[in-house]
Order: sequence, then structure tokens, then C-alpha cells
Amino acid sequence: MQKIAKAPVSRAWFTWLVALVALVVAVVIPLFVKSDYYRDILITAIVFAVLSMTFVMQLKSGLISLGIAAFWGIGAYSAAIMTTKMGLSFWAALPLSALLTAVVAFLLGFIIIGRGGVFTFVILTAVVGMLFSVSVGASSYLGNYAGISNIPSPGTVKIPGLPAWDFLNKSAWYYLALILLVLVAVICFALYKSWIGRAWTSIGLNTRLASSIGVNVFRYRLLGFVIASGIAGLIGAFYASYVVNIDPSQFSTWSNIYLQLYAILGGIQYAIAGPILGSVIMRFLPTALSSIPGYADLVTGALLILFILFLPHGLLGLLSQGRAGLTGLRENLARVGRFFSQSSERADGPRVPDVADSGQREPQAAIEAPVTGEGSAPSSMNKADER
Amino acid sequence: MILDVKGVTKRYGGLVAVDDVSFTVDESEILGIIGPNGAGKSTTLNLISGFDTLTSGSVLFDGRNIAGMKAERISALGMGRNFQSSLLFMQLPVIENVFAAYHLQLKTPAWKRLLHLPAAKAEEAELRGKSGEILDKLGLGDLKYEITRNLAYGHQRILSVCIALATNPKLLLLDEPLTGMNQTEIQTMVELIKWIRSTGITVIIIEHNIQALMSLCDRLVVLDHGRKITEGLPKDVRTNPEVIEAYLGTEGD
Repeated sequence: MQKIAKAPVSRAWFTWLVALVALVVAVVIPLFVKSDYYRDILITAIVFAVLSMTFVMQLKSGLISLGIAAFWGIGAYSAAIMTTKMGLSFWAALPLSALLTAVVAFLLGFIIIGRGGVFTFVILTAVVGMLFSVSVGASSYLGNYAGISNIPSPGTVKIPGLPAWDFLNKSAWYYLALILLVLVAVICFALYKSWIGRAWTSIGLNTRLASSIGVNVFRYRLLGFVIASGIAGLIGAFYASYVVNIDPSQFSTWSNIYLQLYAILGGIQYAIAGPILGSVIMRFLPTALSSIPGYADLVTGALLILFILFLPHGLLGLLSQGRAGLTGLRENLARVGRFFSQSSERADGPRVPDVADSGQREPQAAIEAPVTGEGSAPSSMNKADER
Repeated sequence: MILDVKGVTKRYGGLVAVDDVSFTVDESEILGIIGPNGAGKSTTLNLISGFDTLTSGSVLFDGRNIAGMKAERISALGMGRNFQSSLLFMQLPVIENVFAAYHLQLKTPAWKRLLHLPAAKAEEAELRGKSGEILDKLGLGDLKYEITRNLAYGHQRILSVCIALATNPKLLLLDEPLTGMNQTEIQTMVELIKWIRSTGITVIIIEHNIQALMSLCDRLVVLDHGRKITEGLPKDVRTNPEVIEAYLGTEGD
């Protein structure tokens, strides 16, 4: 029963191919999508994809942030103040806003992450989210709840050999958003593949073991919080200039909930592709459903719940698992079927429901599914040992 | 003397979990800490390794007082440990568990590592190779690319020792490495621990299974109700009436 250890077949080339195709598609899309309405959806989808990525970045080290929208807002407001009141150009305000947001996150991080655990973090980031809206609303310098209007567009960029890049139409904005998206994706990729990403993952999977191997839990969580917030600030600066008028309601907790849902829908394990796919789909869905007048939001919400119930690993999880993913989906559906048949039986007579029990076991089977799909040798031998 | 534990005490409110425990550990020895359930063995280990804060007392590791230091700091100073209930990165492949433990041993400048330059990649490949060697050495070579969750229980215990070893420790703390293992697995683990000591690493073992420790340890410290009742050579401890009363006696009947 000797089993030879074989390195799993690398599918990196496939990932790169998909990324390349996606990039080419993203670059040529404005040639086919002429409507400003759809281009606007594309641009906001990119903004939310980036925000959603920062959510996943923090989630890697086990932190669920409810304050991403606030840092997005800090970036947007800094850029707005810099361009409207301090006379800076957009191109200077863009990096400066990102930097300022990161500095704010660094200072707040000492309190928010501090010695507290994961739950303290969730609560405190939610508090930051609320404080942001309230304090901006109370400040007349920041325009109270009316916000700041007439935020200038970026100055025209002239690249030799190309038409002038002026921000008079939506395709120019779209390409700027795309550049920022690619930049953020590359930063995320480089981080996740490095020791920093491994440290985040180890903290997220097992905090005690991580510190026993010398990972400074506080420092790495703080680092993730600062980088994620800086990115949120960067895209906030872009957003402020794009939408021209900003007010605190745009950066509410609702936005935060949306960007988390996009990440979950796309697939949490896919830290870069998941948020992009999730937010593109969810930004277009209400429009696609708008033929059902008045009910578009309702149907979108219902679809979202169904997605999360039946696809706990997101759309990409389903795609990458192939047949195993479909089996998992079928199991999930069967589970719900059992749940309903049980509840009707329960009405007839006393019966101990084992829903909670099966609910614990089956997601695990679903998690195990990608393992066999990964191309490594089957693990039947060890499973036999385990029994 | 690599470790000097002096008057270590841990109180949880009115409950004294560890009460004024002192002992020393010499270099390259295997020290066993034994005692019945609830004797304070694991708490003592957590106090030494920084996973719990001590109420009073001091811990000198290599001449430096490490009492009150954070766990990651103590790990960086060269104290490795595993955990009682197989604490592993269950979702990752086996080799990634070990590779993660090289966290502090990367020498390439950070900016080169962030840009993934060839020097950084070469270093990672080398450390990944070392991870594989540790696994080969401890008999998990065939399971390198398996997802950790799928491993048999005994293999998971061995993996937790591999992770602790990869941190390049001077002193290795093993929390119940033999508990729940069958006879063959215990034999394998005992051989592994002897081999680890032969490479110059000092080992402290917390264990419930006193039988296996008798042949393995150079010295034994016996705890009961949070206090040290005796210490000495295994053969002396075995015949100590207090120990028999506290521990062996209750198990014998």
C-alpha cells in the first residue's frame, strides 16, 4: 500500500490564460457597449469589485470589516477637499488620498485591532462606519449631509501616439477604473503569493498555531487593515471625481453589506476573481430584471439568498469544482428538500429534527470536494486510516 | 541550563491552576512533566510558551526573562511548541503547514520578496525543499501534498511536531504527543523524539501516558493539583510513594 507523493498538477497556466482573456475582454468592451447607462454600471461594478477585494484581504487574516465603506468615504472626501478647496489636481489627490486613508487606518488600527479579538474588530469597524456618517454630517467644512459638489474631473492626459485622454465621456473613465482595478489586482496577487499572504492565511486558519510559529498576529492584521483601507481610499478618490457630487449616504453600511455579498457570491476563496465576478453580476442583475417593474430589488434579494444558501463557495467554486460542485449543489438542494419534508412530518407527531446535525456535516463534504478536483492523487487510503 | 522556571503561579480568580512551580531544564535533555488530569501540566506549558500570562514567577530561557512576552516573540527566540488537540492548518496541504513555519527564517530583503525576484523565489524553493526533508525524515514524505484534514490522527500528531521543528527551535515543548495513539504510533513517536534530541534540541514533554515516558525521559517532574510534588530520575519517581498515591495508585485500581 505504498503511495508515492506526487506534486499536484499545476494549473497556473490556465489561471493566467483566463486572466488574460478577461483583460482583453475588459479592454475591448467599450467598443461594443456604447450606452452611457451600461458603461456607468461597468464603472461602478469596478469600484465595488475593488472594495470587495479589500474585504477579502482582511477576511484572509480572519477579520470581518464593516468599516470598508467608511474608509472608501475617507478617500473620497480627502480627494474632494484636496481638489475643490486646496486646488490640487486629481492626479495628485489620487495617491495622496490613498496615503491619507492608510494613515488614518494605521492610527485607528491600534485601537480597533489592539488586543481585542475578531468580534471586537467587527463591532469597532461598524462603529467607525457609523461615526463616519455622523461626523461628516456634523461638519460644515465637509458640507454636512448635503456633501460636496462639483468635484473636478482629472486633467487631460496626453500620451504620444494615442488620442488625448480627456474625461469627457464614460469610456475614458472606464479605462481609468480598469487601470486601477488591474493595479489593485496585481498588488493583491503579489501580496497573497508572498510571505505576507501566507502569514494572513495562517492567522485566519489558526491564530494560536500562527503565533506559535512566530507570526506576529497583531502586526500582520494591522498591515492587512492598512493596505486594504489604503486601496479603499484610492478607489474612493476615483469615485468622488467620477460621481462629481458626494454625500455621506453613499458610504453607508449598506454599501458595506453589498460589497461583502459580492465577494461571497463570486467565491470567497478566489480573492481576486471572486469579487470581480460577483460585483459585475450583481451590478447588472437589477438592470436585467428591470423588466419586472417594482420587483427587481425583491427578486435580486431573493436570488442572492438562494445563491448563498446553495453555493457556499460562490460561482467560481461551482465552476472550478466541475462535477463535484454540481454534486454539492444537488446535495444542498436535497438537504432543503429533507428540511421541508421533516417539518411537515413534525406536524404529525413528535420527532427529533436532525437538521442542525446534517447542516454541520454537509458543508464539510462540500469543502472537501475541491480537494479531489485539484488533480492530486485520491486520498482514499488515509480516509480509510481515519476510520 | 536552557530553561529556568522559578515560582511560576497562575490564578484564575480564586482558583490556583499552577502553584509556585519551579524546575530547570538542561541542554539536550528530555524532561517529562507528568501528572493526573487537571494537575496543571498544560497550563504550565502555556505559561512557559507565552500563550497564557503568569500571575507571578519568572521564566528564564537562555538566560533571558521571557515571562510576559508574547508567544510569537518567544517562538522567535527559539522555543517551538505543538498543541494538544492537533492544532494544524487543516485546509492546507501538509507541506504548506511546515513551510508556513519558516516565516521568520526568510533572509532575502522584503522588497525583493514582494516583487517576487529570482533571489526570493530561490529562497522559497529551498525552504520548501527543507520542509519536504523534515516530512521525509519524520515519515510523512508520502503525504506531502495531501490536504491535512484527510490525514490519519497519528499522522496529524507527527505533523504538529514537524511544524514545531521547522521553526528551528533550541527548546521544543510537546503537549501530549502520545495521547490517543495506538502502540505502533507511540513507538514511532518515541523514536522520533529520541532522534530530535540527538540533533541537539532540548525537549520538554507533557504527557498523560506515563509508561512511554519512563523509557524516554532523562528526568521527570510530577505535578498534582497545580503543585510540583517531586522530580527526579524516572526510576526514582516511579517508586516515590507520593507519586503513587497521586497518580499511579489511582490508575492502578
